[in-house]
Amino acid sequence: MADADTTARRPVLSSFGTLGRGWLGVLALLLVIGLGAWAYQLQHGLIETGMRNVFSWGLYIMLFVLFVGLSAGGLILSSAPKFFHSQRYEGFARLGVLVSLGCIIVAGLLILPDIGRPDRIYQFVTSPDFRSPMVWDFGIVMLYGALNVWYLWLLTRRDLAARGSRLSLWVSDSAAGRDRDRTLMFWTAVCALPAAVALHSVTGWIFATQVGRGDWFSPLVAPVFIAKALVSGLGLLLVVSILADRFTAFTADRGELTSLGKLLGIFLAFHVVYLLAAERLPHAWAHHFGFWAITSNFLIGDTVYFWLWTGLGGAVPLLLLATPSLRRRTSVIFTASVLAVFGTLFEGIRLVFTGYQRVNINAAPGIATGGEYAGLTTDAWATAGTYTPTAVEIAVTVGVISIGALIVMAGLRYLPLQRAAPDAAYATDGGDRTQ
Amino acid sequence: MTNYGLVIDQERCIGCQTCAMTCKQENNVPMGQFWNRVLTVGGEHVDTPSGTYPEDGESGDLDMNYQPTACQHCENAPCVKVCPVNATYTRDDGIVEIDYDKCMGCRYCMAACPYNARVFNWDEPEHRPEDGTGDVAERPQGVVEKCTFCSHRVEDGLDPACVVNCPADARIFGDLDDDDSTVSKYISEYNTEQLLNEKGTDPSTYYVQGKMTPGRPWTSDKLETELGDDEAAQATRRRNGAPTSEHGPTPHVPAETAGGDD
Repeated sequence: MADADTTARRPVLSSFGTLGRGWLGVLALLLVIGLGAWAYQLQHGLIETGMRNVFSWGLYIMLFVLFVGLSAGGLILSSAPKFFHSQRYEGFARLGVLVSLGCIIVAGLLILPDIGRPDRIYQFVTSPDFRSPMVWDFGIVMLYGALNVWYLWLLTRRDLAARGSRLSLWVSDSAAGRDRDRTLMFWTAVCALPAAVALHSVTGWIFATQVGRGDWFSPLVAPVFIAKALVSGLGLLLVVSILADRFTAFTADRGELTSLGKLLGIFLAFHVVYLLAAERLPHAWAHHFGFWAITSNFLIGDTVYFWLWTGLGGAVPLLLLATPSLRRRTSVIFTASVLAVFGTLFEGIRLVFTGYQRVNINAAPGIATGGEYAGLTTDAWATAGTYTPTAVEIAVTVGVISIGALIVMAGLRYLPLQRAAPDAAYATDGGDRTQ
Repeated sequence: MTNYGLVIDQERCIGCQTCAMTCKQENNVPMGQFWNRVLTVGGEHVDTPSGTYPEDGESGDLDMNYQPTACQHCENAPCVKVCPVNATYTRDDGIVEIDYDKCMGCRYCMAACPYNARVFNWDEPEHRPEDGTGDVAERPQGVVEKCTFCSHRVEDGLDPACVVNCPADARIFGDLDDDDSTVSKYISEYNTEQLLNEKGTDPSTYYVQGKMTPGRPWTSDKLETELGDDEAAQATRRRNGAPTSEHGPTPHVPAETAGGDD
């Protein structure tokens, strides 16, 4: 199957069509609104956000965390089998890397509106302090983004060349070239897996290194970030694959979808059940005496974000995917995946809240919130953190996310995301030899 | 080496908020922001005690204390370690300071500081009077700012504004590395606490609790504004390490280190 056949591996969207153009129009509109909101925020300052001195990171960072996690699925799913010379899930590899790329770009761009002086962001390069986990994260996000670009091009360049696309950048299509690419893909996979692990761990360490912010200071944060990347990344890949299957020429193999759904269930169980229990049990045990007091404090969360994450975004999709008769249905896999991504969003929101809600020194009058000066009022002080995102923040965030969606749309239209012959199945000979 | 530190005698503090106000004036701190706050440790509100009044069989365990709180100038400062662009740094004299031209406003330092000592200019800073107050340039919108131990004064051989203006003499500034400095003596002779000691940040600000200290030592009855040209010249000589006359105010900034640690 891997001969250099020229039975064109076409993009899964041959043209955008009415529906596609409408969707592009919506995305472009959201992008323009987002840019407008950012310009407004630049002019007036971060006072236009819901953040203040106590609660000083908000929606931008919450969604940065989410999108870093979302970028995991595609790259891991396409590189892990290659690492083991397996053809498994090959049909999802290219779409997966495309989605990963879109997500990591969204994550990186979300930092821009968060910082007070985006004009000085070059300081990351000219004056870095290598003790700062944010410098580590800056480096790994850049590296990961570059790796995604390279990988996506590597996966598609011979097919692009076969179609005479200029995106192949003078690479030509030949059997020898395809063989060489398979070796390159293996070595890229070798780099991609540790890069993904590093990306999610370092993003976790941004929080986990901080002694001053309650539950952030926990060695479990990095492993939890890996787990939630697996959950949300795979969840998003399944959502996008099923949508692409429905609306484009992309075909998602039903058997593989079910098997990926099962995998998502395993990831969910590890993340929402096991790691959460491992995090909570020692605290519940240490702080309470009676058996039922320990048990209830271990099992019962206190915030609505906790329940949105563990219940609606954890238990429900887990039950859907654990039931064999249900998980064969594409609609069930789709629902469970949407809920898993939704749950991870609220896990990130909860994480930021646990850091900022309580302050270490809460004696009256507290901390000056630094909001707009409105004369002699008492609400200039706070002894606890509160946060509600403003319309400006939401508009900017949606605008940035629309950039990711536009990247995925462009990929669907211009990149050969589907293998020509879906005869792949599972190669038993190690998988990477030409027949 | 010089390592500046502050001793705050909570037994002397009367909760008058003068240090908070003088800090705001001296450092041109914008409206709605405070670098230095006097917290009431006790009841739920400012100037209210915890416990009950001794009547109707109540225990009468009223208790209240004041805790002036600003940047603690930690030795193991989390804010310095997290700053991605080296905008927050520890000076050779131990003062934790921000380079406002480098700060890109990511606010990681605010997440890192366990004391909530840092404030961010969420919008264009506002001042009363509009031109601002004090001797420090205004910081722009979009950067983080905080207490500098009045490094501009320390460099001129003067104590920080909050120290000079404390009417209860409850604040004492000096070199923690000098065993003969008042701060070092008080730390060794009195019971002192560092805030949130368990976080391991090792603050350079020490709080005296229990027995009251004699407070900030005075060596002159003159105000700084009354310093003549001679005294100003003395301050310069002190900065240059020259011996000073025995008259005139003697700030607790060591002569040999003020203005550089060469």
